[in-house]
Amino acid sequence: MASASPLKALLEFLRDSTLRVGLPVPLPMEEIYSWALPLRLPRMGSVILYTGALYQLMPYIESLTRYLSALEGSRVSDTLLRLARILIATPKLTRTLLAPEPARVERARRILTNISRLLSSSGVAHAYPYEDDLYSGVLLYDLGLDDAFAEVAGRVYRKLKEHGASTVITVDPHTTNILRNVYPSYVDGFDLEVVNYLEVLSRAAEESRIRLRGLVSEAVIHDPCFYARYLHIIDEPRKILERSGVKVLEPRRSREATYCCGGPVESVAPRLASKIAETRLKELAEKSKNVVVLCPICYTNLSRANKLGLRILDIAEVVEAEVPGSGSPQ
Amino acid sequence: MDPLSKALGEIRRVLDDEFFQESVKRAAGHAEEKVPDILDSHPYLKELAREVRRVKEEVISNLDYYIEEAMKSIERIGGKAYLASDASEAREIVGRIVGRGKLVVMSKSMTAEEIGLREYLESLGNEVWETDLGQLLIQLEGGKPMHSVAPAIHLSRERVASLLREKLGFEVPEGARPEDMVRMVRSFLRSKFERADVGISGANAIAAETGSIVLVENEGNIRLVTGLPPIHIALAGVEKIVPTLMDAIKVALVQAAYDGLYPPNYINVISGPSATADIEHVRVRGAHGPLQLHVVLLDNGRLEASRNQLLREQLRCIRCGRCQWECPVWQHTANLWGGPAYGGPMGVIWTAITMGVDAAAGLSMLCLGCRRCDYVCPVEIPLSRILLGLKRIYAHGLLGGQG
Repeated sequence: MASASPLKALLEFLRDSTLRVGLPVPLPMEEIYSWALPLRLPRMGSVILYTGALYQLMPYIESLTRYLSALEGSRVSDTLLRLARILIATPKLTRTLLAPEPARVERARRILTNISRLLSSSGVAHAYPYEDDLYSGVLLYDLGLDDAFAEVAGRVYRKLKEHGASTVITVDPHTTNILRNVYPSYVDGFDLEVVNYLEVLSRAAEESRIRLRGLVSEAVIHDPCFYARYLHIIDEPRKILERSGVKVLEPRRSREATYCCGGPVESVAPRLASKIAETRLKELAEKSKNVVVLCPICYTNLSRANKLGLRILDIAEVVEAEVPGSGSPQ
Repeated sequence: MDPLSKALGEIRRVLDDEFFQESVKRAAGHAEEKVPDILDSHPYLKELAREVRRVKEEVISNLDYYIEEAMKSIERIGGKAYLASDASEAREIVGRIVGRGKLVVMSKSMTAEEIGLREYLESLGNEVWETDLGQLLIQLEGGKPMHSVAPAIHLSRERVASLLREKLGFEVPEGARPEDMVRMVRSFLRSKFERADVGISGANAIAAETGSIVLVENEGNIRLVTGLPPIHIALAGVEKIVPTLMDAIKVALVQAAYDGLYPPNYINVISGPSATADIEHVRVRGAHGPLQLHVVLLDNGRLEASRNQLLREQLRCIRCGRCQWECPVWQHTANLWGGPAYGGPMGVIWTAITMGVDAAAGLSMLCLGCRRCDYVCPVEIPLSRILLGLKRIYAHGLLGGQG
């Protein structure tokens, strides 16, 4: 009987999709860059805002994970493998089939728009690579597919250079870490300065280049593993929140000791990932109903397991630039 | 079935087991809070951990030399030293010393677990008892230890009571308290200790300089296992060798502290069989303690690992289990994730060392890469980096080299 382990099928799917389409889930590139169209960001510049597509992909990955959960513990039939190949060849079909909640897709666009505005308000002009805002390959690296990852890393680097980049501003912990700490050993002559927007923003706030306002009065903070233990971006989000007037509450396991949301194993063991998320949510709930997350993977995995009715918000949904003179947000 | 599917199947069974989940998390939570307190109250421990890291590194880089030194020292002080290349050779060596139809008492040893020693000695027709309470419960249950130091954390007092009733015939009343059950086990095992022909222990460290074995414990069973029977066999992986006796003591202190039990109730130092010279100053081997001491050093992949860039740093491990306590995956699976003997982040890597990379690579796919383990390891093993290396090996194998 021709069948494959779900994990093998999944790894091949992620690899082939990333190599052919530039995204681990085959989608039309406009899904990734359409958020930026109304902002009229230039295509070329020495400072490039590079999202690595993670925020935009997460609603689709969430749908995909629902399918994977249904398959957990079973074998994958030939029909399904054929379907996977068709999906990679026809990204528009994938978009239709995965059909994520429109609100989730919209939310990702809103977050990125706000991040871009926060940067502009801080006086940090930036360009955006549009159809070249490719996925960084971080999932391939984390799952051990390092040959494919090396190819992807080289391609992303070349595209960023084509857009004139000398500095890249990243917006999530995984993309930041992979560019800052991993790309240099996979890409010959890697010469991009990688800064995270929280670093940019906290400095701007400290130097009073931007005035911030918060949309909640207090929240418990959930540090992502990659900011806390790989990048040591720990004080920056706290400064930003405090400058915005948001009271930051610390959960039991916080800062360098922060607890994983479970997200990284959601493709291999979805139920285990949910259980880890539930454990984390319980201790976050001890401090506040408002939870601030700093990573789209944390957001997705915690939201999926959120049976406690917590309000889970990305930091870029909680903080915005106060426009001088107006006193109220748009 | 491949190791990953097998582990996932077992894990799925406990994810909804409320008692399992709660007790593992409670125990881990205690350790998570206790260890930082211990380290703050005894500031020298971090320095000791750094020294242990350094001497372990020295030994791993010269493992052949230190094995030879340790064996010479053990023989010099009247013990017998053996080097077993793999699990089956180790079982045979111990089997020949023990023989058949004997009464054997064991103290908890992950290395014995690794080679399936208890089951082997039983198959030779010996009566074998684990004497660490948690490990005895595992023996009665017929399962696998769920943590290196606290093997039976997943069992409720009710489950313990019913095991003692069913397997040992104890009359445990309904609602029996833990202290009542401990007393019953103590009196049962006391009769075994007194009559035992052989005591088998592991070792936390072995000093190459003096041939001394150091063992750290809280229950007091190790002193009885290693002190009462006429024959003592110590089984230890070759990575347990350290240069000096002082280094060995440091390992014991650091191991206890990072597991969350400090100060440890007992540290045992054993240098050769017992002896006396109290009659006319004539030295006689065998006084109150054992007459014979056998030390079985186990290779089983460790020498090869010491030359393997990916795996070598794991040989610094002192088995404190702190990476298990801190791991979000382990807190939901206990040692069901890790392999047949070992568990948790360090367990997957020990499985790779002792059973081959193929037995462990799939299991690495359950690592979150969150690095909580890296941050707390007293000897700074880059666990998540090694696990990522194993993921690569697995992904390449799964995709026929097209990773």
